[in-house]
Amino acid sequence: MKNRARATFLVICSLVMATIVYAELKKGYYSPAELGILRQAAPVELSPDSNFQVSAYPVPATELAPGDGLQDVQIYCNTCHSPRYITMQPPLPAATWEAEVNKMNKAFGAAIPDDNTQKIILYLQAHYTADTRKQ
Amino acid sequence: MAQQPSPEKTMEPFTGPGANPHWNSVGPYIAEPQKVPLILLTDRPIQLETPRHYFRTVFTPNEAFYVRWHLEGIPNAVDLKEWKLQIEGNVNKALAFTLPDLMQKFKPVSVAAVNECSGNSRSRLLPRVPGGQWGNGAMGNAMWTGVRLRELLDLAGLKSGSLQVQFQGLETGQGPAGLGSNLFLKSLDLKNPVLDESVVAYLMNGEPLPVLNGFPVRLVVPGYFATYWTKCLSWIRVLTAPDENFWMKTGYRMPDTPRGNTTPEDVKAGKVKTIPLERFPVRSFLISPDGSSKIPAGMNVTLRGIAFSGFGAVNRVEVSDDGGKNWIAAKLGENHGAYSFRTWESSWTAKSPGRYWLAARATDEKGNTQPDEPVWNPGGYLWNRIERQEVVVGNAS
Repeated sequence: MKNRARATFLVICSLVMATIVYAELKKGYYSPAELGILRQAAPVELSPDSNFQVSAYPVPATELAPGDGLQDVQIYCNTCHSPRYITMQPPLPAATWEAEVNKMNKAFGAAIPDDNTQKIILYLQAHYTADTRKQ
Repeated sequence: MAQQPSPEKTMEPFTGPGANPHWNSVGPYIAEPQKVPLILLTDRPIQLETPRHYFRTVFTPNEAFYVRWHLEGIPNAVDLKEWKLQIEGNVNKALAFTLPDLMQKFKPVSVAAVNECSGNSRSRLLPRVPGGQWGNGAMGNAMWTGVRLRELLDLAGLKSGSLQVQFQGLETGQGPAGLGSNLFLKSLDLKNPVLDESVVAYLMNGEPLPVLNGFPVRLVVPGYFATYWTKCLSWIRVLTAPDENFWMKTGYRMPDTPRGNTTPEDVKAGKVKTIPLERFPVRSFLISPDGSSKIPAGMNVTLRGIAFSGFGAVNRVEVSDDGGKNWIAAKLGENHGAYSFRTWESSWTAKSPGRYWLAARATDEKGNTQPDEPVWNPGGYLWNRIERQEVVVGNAS
C-alpha cells in the first residue's frame, strides 16, 4: 500500500516535471511512424569495359481498388505500363476513362478483346471517378 | 500549457477533382539508378519529378533532374562498342558516328538550356485532364555540351526534296510496329532555324548523362519543349514527307489559339484546330521561402527563384507580397544565355504578422509577360499562369 502510494506520487511528480520541461523547452516529442521503403542505394560494381549499365528499374506494387475487372486491368493494362498509370491520375469523369481505354486499343493497338475492354472501363468507372474514388 | 505537437502528416495519395494546390506533385519518393530520391509519378515507363528545393541553383543537378519516358523499353545498358549515331534517309551519304567520333572530330559547343516537359504543371488545369499529373518540377536547366546538329547534317548532305528531320532514340514499346506504342519519334522542319541552335549533347553539366536522361547522347533543342529532346539519340533520319506518326500527328499538339487555350465544350464540338507544340512560354517560380516555415515579423528575408522563356531571355522579374496587386522589380542573377534559367532575388520584410501571398511574374525580351489567367487544353500543356505562395508571418515578440 505504501509502495503504491509512493509509486503514484513518483508518476505524478514525473508528469508534472515533464509538463514543466515541455512548457519551457517545447522539444523532445516523438510520434510512432512507419519507416519508409526508401533505403540508400549501395555503391554499384563498375568495370572499365564499354558497357554502361545501370540496375533494373524498381517497380513497387501499386494498390488497386478490389472489384470486378481488377484481373482484366492487371493482365491487359500491365502489358505496356504499370497500373500506377491509373492511380496517378486525378479522379476522372466516366466518359474520360472510357476514352482512355479506347485510345489504348485504337491509337496504341492494345487489341484487348471487346468483353475485357468493357470490363476494364466499368472497373475504372466504378473506382476512379470523382464520385467513386476512395484511395 | 503548451500543446503537444501532432505527428507529421504525409501527402494525400492523389489530388482532384480540384487543382493540385501543391508546388510539386504529391507522389512518394523513389530512388532510381543514378538518381537521388525523386517524386514518383510512374514506375514503368518511368516519370519522376524534381522536388522544389533543387531549383535553388541555376543549374539543376543531373542526379535530381526530372525523368519522363513514354514507352517501357528504357535501356538499362548501352554498349559503346556497338552504339552508333546514324544519319540516314534522304542524304548524299549515310553516316554512323561512334561516341569518340562525336567527342573528337567536332569542335564541342556548350549551351545552357532549360528542358521543360510539355505537361509541366498539368495538375494545375481545371477541369483536370488525364496524363502525367506533374506539379512544377518537370523542368530543369543544364549546361549541355556536344556537337552542332547542323554539322552532322551538313556532313551527310541533304538531297533535294528533303523536308523534315526525324529523331529516334533507344526507347521502344510493346505495341505493334508503326504505332506510337512501338516507337517514340519526333521531327522538325529542316527550314526551322532552331536546328541551327540544336546540339547533340554528350555532356550534361560537365558529366555524362544519366541513362534516364538519355545517355550517351541527347538532342538539345533550346527554347523548345522537351518532347523534341530525344533521349539516347541513335537515328537522325532525313524525310521527304511530313512525319505523320502518332507523336507528331496526334500527341503533343496544342490548340491553334492564343496561349493554346480552349474549352472542353469547343473540343467536344470539334471546333479546335491543333498545331504541334514548339516553344515553351515565359514562367517564373518562387523557390524559397516555400511556405513550410513561419517567418518572424520584421525579419528581412530573401525571396529567391528562377525564371525562363522559350522565346528569348527573361529581362524582368517582379515580385508581389499581396497576391499580385502591387509589384516591385527583383534583382536578376548571372546571365547564362537566353535559354537558361535566370535566377532572381528580392529582399522582403513583413512588418506585421499575418498571411501573405507572394507571387512572381517574368517578362522576356520579346515582351511576353506571364498572365494571371489559367489555361486549358485537353493535353494539359502550356500552363504558365503567375504562381502564388502563401507564407505565414508570426509575431516576433
